[in-house]
Amino acid sequence: MNPLAYTPFIDPIDLHDWWFLLLIPMAFFVACAYKAVRVPSMRKFWPQVISFTIQIVGGIALLGLAAYLVLGYAIPSLAPMPGS
Amino acid sequence: MPEPEPQSKGLDPAAGLLACLFPGAGHLYRGEAYRALMAAFGVLGLFLGGMFVGGIDTIDAEEDRIWFVGQAFVGPVAFGVNYVHQTRFKAYDPDTRVRRTGYPDEMRASRIIDPVKGEQPVWVPAEDGRGPPNVKSVAKMNEIGTLAATIAGMLNFIIILDALLPSVRGVIGRREEESPALETAQGGGDA
Repeated sequence: MNPLAYTPFIDPIDLHDWWFLLLIPMAFFVACAYKAVRVPSMRKFWPQVISFTIQIVGGIALLGLAAYLVLGYAIPSLAPMPGS
Repeated sequence: MPEPEPQSKGLDPAAGLLACLFPGAGHLYRGEAYRALMAAFGVLGLFLGGMFVGGIDTIDAEEDRIWFVGQAFVGPVAFGVNYVHQTRFKAYDPDTRVRRTGYPDEMRASRIIDPVKGEQPVWVPAEDGRGPPNVKSVAKMNEIGTLAATIAGMLNFIIILDALLPSVRGVIGRREEESPALETAQGGGDA
Protein backbone atom coordinates (compact mmCIF):
# COMPACT_ATOMS: atom_id res chain seq x y z
CA MET A 1 0.00 0.00 0.00
CA ASN A 2 1.26 3.41 -0.90
CA PRO A 3 1.96 5.22 2.38
CA LEU A 4 1.01 8.53 0.76
CA ALA A 5 -2.41 7.30 -0.41
CA TYR A 6 -5.41 8.92 1.27
CA THR A 7 -8.44 6.80 2.15
CA PRO A 8 -11.57 8.63 3.39
CA PHE A 9 -12.72 7.64 6.90
CA ILE A 10 -9.45 5.75 7.41
CA ASP A 11 -6.87 8.53 7.15
CA PRO A 12 -7.27 12.05 8.59
CA ILE A 13 -7.92 14.95 6.24
CA ASP A 14 -5.34 17.70 5.91
CA LEU A 15 -7.35 20.71 7.06
CA HIS A 16 -5.01 21.94 9.79
CA ASP A 17 -5.03 25.54 8.53
CA TRP A 18 -8.82 25.70 8.21
CA TRP A 19 -9.85 23.62 11.20
CA PHE A 20 -12.23 26.29 12.52
CA LEU A 21 -14.52 25.83 9.48
CA LEU A 22 -15.33 22.34 10.78
CA LEU A 23 -17.46 24.03 13.45
CA ILE A 24 -20.20 24.66 10.88
CA PRO A 25 -20.96 21.04 9.86
CA MET A 26 -20.48 19.93 13.46
CA ALA A 27 -23.02 22.51 14.67
CA PHE A 28 -25.42 21.48 11.89
CA PHE A 29 -25.35 17.79 12.81
CA VAL A 30 -25.64 18.59 16.53
CA ALA A 31 -28.70 20.72 15.73
CA CYS A 32 -30.22 17.93 13.60
CA ALA A 33 -29.85 15.27 16.30
CA TYR A 34 -30.94 17.54 19.14
CA LYS A 35 -33.94 19.07 17.39
CA ALA A 36 -35.07 15.64 16.15
CA VAL A 37 -36.06 14.78 19.69
CA ARG A 38 -36.80 18.29 20.90
CA VAL A 39 -39.35 19.81 18.52
CA PRO A 40 -42.93 18.77 19.34
CA SER A 41 -43.91 18.85 15.66
CA MET A 42 -41.56 17.91 12.83
CA ARG A 43 -43.17 20.62 10.70
CA LYS A 44 -40.89 23.08 12.53
CA PHE A 45 -37.80 20.88 12.27
CA TRP A 46 -35.71 22.56 9.55
CA PRO A 47 -36.35 26.17 10.64
CA GLN A 48 -35.37 25.11 14.18
CA VAL A 49 -32.24 23.32 12.90
CA ILE A 50 -31.10 26.34 10.90
CA SER A 51 -31.82 28.68 13.80
CA PHE A 52 -29.96 26.46 16.29
CA THR A 53 -26.99 26.04 13.93
CA ILE A 54 -26.68 29.81 13.60
CA GLN A 55 -26.96 30.18 17.38
CA ILE A 56 -24.18 27.65 18.00
CA VAL A 57 -21.81 29.10 15.38
CA GLY A 58 -22.57 32.67 16.47
CA GLY A 59 -22.15 31.81 20.14
CA ILE A 60 -18.80 30.10 19.57
CA ALA A 61 -17.64 33.02 17.39
CA LEU A 62 -18.58 35.49 20.14
CA LEU A 63 -16.76 33.37 22.73
CA GLY A 64 -13.72 33.35 20.47
CA LEU A 65 -13.90 37.13 20.05
CA ALA A 66 -14.27 37.58 23.82
CA ALA A 67 -11.27 35.35 24.48
CA TYR A 68 -9.25 37.31 21.91
CA LEU A 69 -10.15 40.64 23.51
CA VAL A 70 -9.38 39.40 27.03
CA LEU A 71 -6.08 37.74 26.13
CA GLY A 72 -4.98 40.28 23.52
CA TYR A 73 -6.04 43.54 25.14
CA ALA A 74 -7.53 43.33 28.64
CA ILE A 75 -4.87 41.24 30.35
CA PRO A 76 -1.90 43.03 28.70
CA SER A 77 -3.36 46.38 29.78
CA LEU A 78 -3.96 45.18 33.35
CA ALA A 79 -0.66 43.35 33.73
CA PRO A 80 1.81 44.58 31.12
CA MET A 81 4.82 42.38 30.51
CA PRO A 82 8.24 43.93 31.10
CA GLY A 83 9.51 45.53 27.91
CA SER A 84 6.11 45.62 26.18
CA MET B 1 -43.57 16.17 7.34
CA PRO B 2 -46.78 15.42 9.28
CA GLU B 3 -46.76 12.16 11.19
CA PRO B 4 -49.38 10.34 13.23
CA GLU B 5 -49.18 11.22 16.90
CA PRO B 6 -47.56 8.26 18.70
CA GLN B 7 -49.14 6.98 21.85
CA SER B 8 -47.50 8.45 24.91
CA LYS B 9 -46.47 5.95 27.57
CA GLY B 10 -44.59 6.28 30.77
CA LEU B 11 -41.88 3.87 29.72
CA ASP B 12 -41.20 2.07 26.46
CA PRO B 13 -38.43 -0.50 27.08
CA ALA B 14 -38.62 -1.99 23.56
CA ALA B 15 -38.12 1.41 21.96
CA GLY B 16 -35.28 2.15 24.40
CA LEU B 17 -33.57 -1.14 23.58
CA LEU B 18 -33.91 -0.60 19.83
CA ALA B 19 -32.57 2.95 20.22
CA CYS B 20 -29.48 1.46 21.88
CA LEU B 21 -28.93 -0.84 18.91
CA PHE B 22 -29.10 1.81 16.19
CA PRO B 23 -29.64 5.59 16.29
CA GLY B 24 -33.28 6.39 15.65
CA ALA B 25 -34.49 2.78 15.71
CA GLY B 26 -36.51 3.41 18.88
CA HIS B 27 -38.48 6.24 17.27
CA LEU B 28 -38.97 4.15 14.13
CA TYR B 29 -40.48 1.42 16.32
CA ARG B 30 -42.83 3.99 17.83
CA GLY B 31 -44.04 5.04 14.38
CA GLU B 32 -42.12 8.31 14.12
CA ALA B 33 -40.24 7.52 10.93
CA TYR B 34 -39.23 11.06 9.99
CA ARG B 35 -38.07 11.88 13.51
CA ALA B 36 -36.08 8.63 13.54
CA LEU B 37 -34.50 9.45 10.18
CA MET B 38 -33.43 12.91 11.31
CA ALA B 39 -32.09 11.59 14.63
CA ALA B 40 -30.03 8.98 12.77
CA PHE B 41 -28.89 11.60 10.26
CA GLY B 42 -27.64 13.86 13.04
CA VAL B 43 -25.92 11.16 15.12
CA LEU B 44 -24.38 9.21 12.25
CA GLY B 45 -23.46 12.46 10.48
CA LEU B 46 -21.47 13.52 13.52
CA PHE B 47 -19.95 10.08 14.05
CA LEU B 48 -18.95 9.53 10.42
CA GLY B 49 -18.00 13.21 10.12
CA GLY B 50 -15.60 12.72 13.02
CA MET B 51 -14.12 9.70 11.25
CA PHE B 52 -13.90 11.65 8.00
CA VAL B 53 -11.95 14.43 9.73
CA GLY B 54 -9.71 12.37 12.00
CA GLY B 55 -9.72 8.98 10.33
CA ILE B 56 -10.42 5.65 11.99
CA ASP B 57 -7.88 6.62 14.65
CA THR B 58 -10.57 8.73 16.36
CA ILE B 59 -12.40 5.55 17.47
CA ASP B 60 -9.97 3.81 19.77
CA ALA B 61 -11.08 2.06 22.95
CA GLU B 62 -7.51 1.16 23.90
CA GLU B 63 -5.59 4.41 23.46
CA ASP B 64 -8.48 6.87 23.98
CA ARG B 65 -10.59 4.94 26.46
CA ILE B 66 -12.22 7.95 28.14
CA TRP B 67 -13.38 9.32 24.79
CA PHE B 68 -14.66 5.92 23.77
CA VAL B 69 -16.94 5.85 26.81
CA GLY B 70 -18.87 8.70 25.20
CA GLN B 71 -18.60 7.28 21.68
CA ALA B 72 -19.96 3.93 22.87
CA PHE B 73 -23.44 5.46 23.21
CA VAL B 74 -23.67 5.49 19.41
CA GLY B 75 -24.20 1.75 19.85
CA PRO B 76 -22.89 -1.32 18.03
CA VAL B 77 -21.66 0.88 15.19
CA ALA B 78 -19.00 2.38 17.49
CA PHE B 79 -17.99 -1.03 18.85
CA GLY B 80 -17.78 -2.42 15.32
CA VAL B 81 -15.55 0.41 14.10
CA ASN B 82 -13.35 0.02 17.18
CA TYR B 83 -13.08 -3.75 16.58
CA VAL B 84 -12.05 -3.23 12.95
CA HIS B 85 -9.56 -0.56 14.03
CA GLN B 86 -7.95 -2.79 16.65
CA THR B 87 -7.82 -5.95 14.56
CA ARG B 88 -7.33 -4.79 10.96
CA PHE B 89 -5.31 -1.59 11.30
CA LYS B 90 -3.18 -1.94 14.43
CA ALA B 91 -0.39 -4.40 15.05
CA TYR B 92 1.97 -5.28 17.87
CA ASP B 93 5.21 -3.44 18.45
CA PRO B 94 7.87 -6.19 18.30
CA ASP B 95 9.81 -4.64 21.19
CA THR B 96 7.14 -3.49 23.64
CA ARG B 97 4.46 -6.00 22.50
CA VAL B 98 1.88 -3.23 22.75
CA ARG B 99 -0.73 -2.89 20.00
CA ARG B 100 -0.39 0.45 18.22
CA THR B 101 -0.83 2.29 14.92
CA GLY B 102 2.04 1.92 12.49
CA TYR B 103 4.67 4.51 11.63
CA PRO B 104 5.05 5.64 8.00
CA ASP B 105 8.08 3.37 7.47
CA GLU B 106 6.40 0.22 8.80
CA MET B 107 4.02 -2.40 7.45
CA ARG B 108 1.94 -5.17 9.00
CA ALA B 109 3.19 -8.75 8.86
CA SER B 110 2.29 -11.96 10.67
CA ARG B 111 4.99 -13.08 13.08
CA ILE B 112 5.20 -15.20 16.23
CA ILE B 113 6.13 -12.95 19.13
CA ASP B 114 4.36 -15.05 21.75
CA PRO B 115 4.53 -18.84 21.20
CA VAL B 116 1.33 -19.30 23.19
CA LYS B 117 -0.72 -16.99 20.97
CA GLY B 118 0.83 -18.08 17.67
CA GLU B 119 1.06 -15.73 14.71
CA GLN B 120 0.01 -12.16 15.37
CA PRO B 121 0.15 -8.94 13.33
CA VAL B 122 3.46 -7.20 14.00
CA TRP B 123 5.03 -4.01 12.66
CA VAL B 124 8.08 -4.68 10.51
CA PRO B 125 10.16 -2.32 8.32
CA ALA B 126 8.20 -1.49 5.17
CA GLU B 127 9.16 -2.86 1.81
CA ASP B 128 9.27 -0.53 -1.19
CA GLY B 129 5.90 1.04 -1.96
CA ARG B 130 4.25 -0.32 1.14
CA GLY B 131 3.31 1.18 4.47
CA PRO B 132 0.83 1.01 7.33
CA PRO B 133 -2.88 0.63 6.47
CA ASN B 134 -3.74 4.00 7.98
CA VAL B 135 -2.15 7.27 9.02
CA LYS B 136 -2.37 8.22 12.69
CA SER B 137 -4.23 11.48 13.10
CA VAL B 138 -2.60 14.16 15.20
CA ALA B 139 -3.25 17.68 16.50
CA LYS B 140 -6.51 19.44 15.65
CA MET B 141 -7.75 16.83 13.15
CA ASN B 142 -7.58 14.18 15.87
CA GLU B 143 -9.09 16.47 18.50
CA ILE B 144 -12.00 17.62 16.34
CA GLY B 145 -12.69 14.14 14.95
CA THR B 146 -12.66 12.55 18.39
CA LEU B 147 -14.83 15.32 19.81
CA ALA B 148 -17.41 15.01 17.01
CA ALA B 149 -17.69 11.22 17.46
CA THR B 150 -18.03 11.64 21.23
CA ILE B 151 -20.74 14.31 20.89
CA ALA B 152 -22.55 11.87 18.57
CA GLY B 153 -22.60 9.33 21.38
CA MET B 154 -23.80 11.86 23.94
CA LEU B 155 -26.59 13.05 21.64
CA ASN B 156 -27.63 9.47 20.97
CA PHE B 157 -27.90 9.01 24.74
CA ILE B 158 -30.49 11.82 24.74
CA ILE B 159 -32.26 10.12 21.81
CA ILE B 160 -32.26 6.79 23.69
CA LEU B 161 -33.83 8.48 26.71
CA ASP B 162 -36.42 10.15 24.49
CA ALA B 163 -37.35 6.77 22.99
CA LEU B 164 -37.41 5.15 26.42
CA LEU B 165 -39.53 7.90 28.02
CA PRO B 166 -41.82 9.09 25.22
CA SER B 167 -44.28 10.86 27.48
CA VAL B 168 -41.90 13.69 28.39
CA ARG B 169 -41.84 15.38 24.98
CA GLY B 170 -45.50 14.51 24.43
CA VAL B 171 -46.55 16.46 27.49
CA ILE B 172 -44.42 19.47 26.53
CA GLY B 173 -45.69 19.31 22.93
CA ARG B 174 -49.34 19.18 23.96
CA ARG B 175 -48.82 22.07 26.38
CA GLU B 176 -47.24 24.19 23.65
CA GLU B 177 -49.92 23.35 21.11
CA GLU B 178 -52.64 24.25 23.60
CA SER B 179 -50.91 27.53 24.42
CA PRO B 180 -49.07 28.98 21.39
CA ALA B 181 -48.53 32.25 23.27
CA LEU B 182 -46.47 30.38 25.85
CA GLU B 183 -44.31 28.89 23.11
CA THR B 184 -43.75 32.33 21.58
CA ALA B 185 -42.92 33.83 24.96
CA GLN B 186 -40.35 31.09 25.53
CA GLY B 187 -38.73 31.68 22.15
CA GLY B 188 -39.92 28.41 20.72
CA GLY B 189 -39.40 26.65 24.00
CA ASP B 190 -36.11 25.18 22.96
CA ALA B 191 -32.53 25.98 21.93
